[in-house]
Amino acid sequence: MSTAIEVKNLSKAYGKETIINQLSFKLNYEEKWSIVGPSGGGKTTLLRILAGLDQPSSGTIKVDGESVIGIDARKRKVGLVFQQPLLFPHMTVEENITYGARLSGTFSKTKTNDLLEAVSLTKSRTSFPSELSGGQQQRTALARALAAEPKILLLDEPFSSLDPALRQELRYWVRRLLDEREITSIFVTHDREEAMIMGDKIGIFHNGEFQQTASAETILDFPANPFVVQFFNNHILINDNSYAPLSRITLFETDDPSVVIKAELLHTTISYGERIAHVYIKEQDKRLSLRLPLQFNQKNYINLFVPKEHIHSFPLSQQGLE
Amino acid sequence: MRPKLYFRLITALFFIFPIVLLLLQSITTPWRTREGINIQLESFTVLWSDPNLWTATVWSIIIGAVVLLFNLFIGLTAGKALAFYSFKGRSLIEALLLSPLLIPLLAVAIGLHLFMIRLDLADTWLGVALVHLVPTVPYTIKIFHHAYSQIGRPLLEQAENLGASVSHQFFTVELPLLKNAIRSVTFLTIVISLSQYAITAIIGGGSVITMPMIFFPFLNSANPPLMAALSIWFAVPPLVMYIAVEALLSLAPYSPTFWRNRT
Repeated sequence: MSTAIEVKNLSKAYGKETIINQLSFKLNYEEKWSIVGPSGGGKTTLLRILAGLDQPSSGTIKVDGESVIGIDARKRKVGLVFQQPLLFPHMTVEENITYGARLSGTFSKTKTNDLLEAVSLTKSRTSFPSELSGGQQQRTALARALAAEPKILLLDEPFSSLDPALRQELRYWVRRLLDEREITSIFVTHDREEAMIMGDKIGIFHNGEFQQTASAETILDFPANPFVVQFFNNHILINDNSYAPLSRITLFETDDPSVVIKAELLHTTISYGERIAHVYIKEQDKRLSLRLPLQFNQKNYINLFVPKEHIHSFPLSQQGLE
Repeated sequence: MRPKLYFRLITALFFIFPIVLLLLQSITTPWRTREGINIQLESFTVLWSDPNLWTATVWSIIIGAVVLLFNLFIGLTAGKALAFYSFKGRSLIEALLLSPLLIPLLAVAIGLHLFMIRLDLADTWLGVALVHLVPTVPYTIKIFHHAYSQIGRPLLEQAENLGASVSHQFFTVELPLLKNAIRSVTFLTIVISLSQYAITAIIGGGSVITMPMIFFPFLNSANPPLMAALSIWFAVPPLVMYIAVEALLSLAPYSPTFWRNRT
């Protein structure tokens, strides 16, 4: 597999504020990445720089082996689907879809029909954007980006303006489309579940850099640092150097030596057929959700027993001790 | 359906009814009690017999068209810059661009007259067209500023991302979406330019004859049919310009087809 995009030491600063800090990564053709992180962390800025809509302060970007620094956004062959569909309101669905394809010289009637079918909008080809539902609009935007045949497709939280049910449905649908068409993609989101569906590899972006870049499984098994633990909520942080999986926590004292953490029980809910306790750990100022045994009697305060054998240390390189 | 009914009533009362009255007045004898209303076309004959009417009309249209072109150029560029770019002193520039509306037009005209004399533009139609920018450009900038804000920068970034050059973006995205703004600017500019008497007289020095120059002497006539005919004649240049602009706009890419309206 050859390299689709390669970024080296990319930085972006607005005045004294650093948004992206010496970022380096490489994405091969047909790979699908998700970038996840808290809102306002610079994920959108990163995509805008890759697409050529913003200029980096320093660093290099190569698309298909060639540097694109200083090259116009319109010549980069990097497609971008924005948060809003941004369809041209005076053009029909078909005209919207063919807009980029005509400019890149890749227009063909067969491809247009094929894309319209792929996004299930054949019947609406002569409709105007204002006549479409939110989901249909975002599907048109996706088809329009694909029609221009970009070398890499960037998606910037494209489902964030949709209602939750539709969002869920579109996630699977878009992922299947990207797989079927072997599209190289970077999907930006602040939603952890969405990141796991849309990318084989997840880059956790915070403070202008990737805190960890790995598959969801690896992040679950070996979180790189306290931020990853706090962000993904799969583990409980014992201290700055160690963590334990939430699944190993018990609410009753056992014979195994354990670390005891006191937590306030805020609320209980039911999800996926399980009772879920939402607790607040005052010492860490952290809210957590964990499974409750069915026979558990509610109290205001509970003790979380973390067996010592399941407490792991972060890899040394990630603790700043390297 | 109620708002539609109100709209039709208001349109009939304030737009159609006055125009019909004006048309009737222009082709009938003065309306007096106990005298019958007789059809006459003398008002138009008197109007058309004025030796300066056609020259003034043609010059009004030429000056109006040039004023419109200047307005479109200044308005599109300034409006886009104000809507999309943030730079130091932006509010100051915005205030400066609107300031001609705050200063009495005559004061500006007298100052500009000296300037025009130095540039050899006094007593020329181009000088008149330039001075007509003073009362029109601020409105035009405001209209395009608003129109570009509504389009929004992301839509143009989307076009750019799909491979559109600046000119392609302008013709395929901006122009079709700015049509309503262009229509408003056309009417506003022509009507304002057409109504300028004082500044046209000062800068034109009497050698540039536009429609108000011949309209005002007729005001003394106190002949209602003649005044009505003149008023109707006054509406001709804006209509001509509107039709011309509309015809040009219909050539723009992704324009509405007559069987389907584009929203």
